[in-house]
Amino acid sequence: MQALEKQQALAALRDKIAGIVDLPPLHASAVQRSIHSSPSLLSLPGGLLHEIFTDERRNGGAALGFALGSARDLLTSSRPAVIYLQLAREAQEMGLPYGAGLAAFGFDPEALLLIRADTITELLWAAEEAIACRAVAAVIVDVAGQPKALDFTASRRLSLRAAKDGASFFLLRYGTWREASAAQFRWHLRPVLSAETPFDARAPGEPRWLARLEKGAINTSQHEEWLLGWTDHGFERIGDPDNSANRTADRTALPRFVPAGLADGLSKTA
Amino acid sequence: MLYERIKGGLRLAAVDQEAAKGKLMTGQNLADARAMLPNLTVREIDRPLLETAFADFADWHSNASPLVSVLTDRAAFGDLVLDITGVAHLFGGELDMLRLLLTRLRTLGYAVAGAVASTVGAAWAASHFARSQVVLGADTAAVLDTLPVAALRLDDEQVAGLSQMGLKRIGQLHARNRKALQARFGISLLTRLDQAYGRIEERLPSRIPVAERYAERRFADPIGLMDDVLMTARDLAITLSIQLETEGLGAQAFHLFLYRVDHKVMTLSVNSGRATRDPQHIARLFSNRSERLEGEYDPGFGVDMIRLAATSVDQLDALQLGAFETHDGTADLDRLYDRMSSRLGAFSVLRTKFVNTHIPEQAVRFEPAIARTTDDPLALPDRDLPRPLRLLPTPEAITVFAEVPYGPPTAMTWRRISYKFVKASGPERLGVEWWRSPERLQLAPPEPDQSSSKPADALTSEPEPDAPRPLPYMEGEQSRDYYIAEDDAGHRFWLFRQGLYGYAPRPDWFLQGFFS
Repeated sequence: MQALEKQQALAALRDKIAGIVDLPPLHASAVQRSIHSSPSLLSLPGGLLHEIFTDERRNGGAALGFALGSARDLLTSSRPAVIYLQLAREAQEMGLPYGAGLAAFGFDPEALLLIRADTITELLWAAEEAIACRAVAAVIVDVAGQPKALDFTASRRLSLRAAKDGASFFLLRYGTWREASAAQFRWHLRPVLSAETPFDARAPGEPRWLARLEKGAINTSQHEEWLLGWTDHGFERIGDPDNSANRTADRTALPRFVPAGLADGLSKTA
Repeated sequence: MLYERIKGGLRLAAVDQEAAKGKLMTGQNLADARAMLPNLTVREIDRPLLETAFADFADWHSNASPLVSVLTDRAAFGDLVLDITGVAHLFGGELDMLRLLLTRLRTLGYAVAGAVASTVGAAWAASHFARSQVVLGADTAAVLDTLPVAALRLDDEQVAGLSQMGLKRIGQLHARNRKALQARFGISLLTRLDQAYGRIEERLPSRIPVAERYAERRFADPIGLMDDVLMTARDLAITLSIQLETEGLGAQAFHLFLYRVDHKVMTLSVNSGRATRDPQHIARLFSNRSERLEGEYDPGFGVDMIRLAATSVDQLDALQLGAFETHDGTADLDRLYDRMSSRLGAFSVLRTKFVNTHIPEQAVRFEPAIARTTDDPLALPDRDLPRPLRLLPTPEAITVFAEVPYGPPTAMTWRRISYKFVKASGPERLGVEWWRSPERLQLAPPEPDQSSSKPADALTSEPEPDAPRPLPYMEGEQSRDYYIAEDDAGHRFWLFRQGLYGYAPRPDWFLQGFFS
């Protein structure tokens, strides 16, 4: 009898605590539903924390392109801004987002705000402050190193903030290490040889990425690996990743001679 | 006793009362002074230190009157001038106010002379050449006429010239022909004369931004904790916002002045991207700003008065919060930028501004999001030109294997890793902007070879007026050929060769950006 009462009391207390805490679960079921219904490829809803891992820092361009491409889908008229955060001391190492390049990529440079923080603490403060704003669509956090402050607790904070306020985080990380994090999705990203251009086989074309989902699931994890291409309307899925990997391997280095048309020596922008 | 090194000699710069009794005066040779008073204590003058100390001292006096100024034209460290128009009655009249200020300083051990007059010139003359007094209205002329000409804030040459002519008193100048005086001594003599008699206006340059709208609170006991200061700031913000609201105004800059007991003023300033009067927002900006202070906050023995002032005031009509409000988010964003700028600094929260030039690193500048300027419609980038997603603020030198002149490279070494390219396109030639060459030539640095080997770091430098980079105009050496090169792993780089073949002795290659 006493044991039963104890159990009831315990259950009541648990209910009470659950009511007080009321945190969204790490994998919100709402996410799954909206992914199923979303028409275009990889257009994920807001309110998520994505970790985007690439193996090396020289893949920074590809990582930024993937994050911007994903963030572009989240821009709406009531959420017109994407905030990009970087440590000021990493600017020369990683490069700064370049307005003209954003425009060429198809991302409105006016929509991107750049924040250069001095310390990781300030960076995380600014990230939380930014995500709390109703007019921000996405926050891209670009951290080249492995600062101690960016641990599980920090990522849990960020993911809760994102879930509460409805904007997404894209956390760009570089390296082959992994650590516990509260991110709903963890991507592993690798740049792939670019698309063919119609008139010049030797010229680099539109970017391509090989994205592997290491954590989280989209479409009940039928695909865990995508070869993504870039069009004006967003990402497109290209063929089977295995074939393209073979194709890249077949590719040889530039031959010794280049067409004269490449080297006409005339200025294009005079 | 302080001395200073003037033209190779050691001369007295400041003399205290004791020494003045011994017939020493400023400008005297230090050796002579030592001979006259052998037990003299002297120290070399440290002008910057004294000037900052005096400036702090002057700022503190803004608790008596909002318009504080330091005149540095005649005295060694400046003269403190307060514009007390409309203030004196708060202290019980001019005489009581003067007495209060002077005794307050005398009890602190300063030797002070002061005067209240209707013009700056008259007050200066009376305080330097007569006893401390209040000179008002009709008395001004009577008092001034008897004073020596040096009381007009003239330079030494003018004083010497006037005394040679036998003009010792200011009153004697009235009888003289003004044109002759101007021809002999310059316009400054007449200006000073008219200013002293109040015939022309003299403006005081204010040390502290003059704020017509402010709220302040005095404390019976000094406070020290930052939290208390912020709480007071919040209260003052509410008072100030009510004041602004009744006038239909908002402000873009807010300044919090903390008057310390020991005669120093600390200033905290925050800026807002758009005019506001929301007390919550203002208080939050100040609390963000205070976190950036770290060790700088030092209340000393406490703060006994806090003033919150609003500047850059602009009309801000009351907003109706309607049911059909269209929410476009710009107001939210502006507030976000304010908050972030107040904590991280305005130069950390940046937006992209395009500049009308085709030199890539100059075509984009970063400007503070809270101080945005209008965009140049001609400067918008051409979307069809290939431009990288990330740009290195300073291009990095690379070693390149280019088999063919004017052809794309086949391999490079960058940051000690070599890359073999499988695809490449280019060149895109970007020449030097010859239409800016005259300015360039003037601004060229003394060592042109350094600037040619290392392109200037334009992106990370603080946003400045659109002054062109000082590159010398050398078309052959400065033209760049840009290539996009892709290695077998899919990294796409933006490379350029600086210098055309045949002009530059050895063309240099740089890596400037990464594509996605």
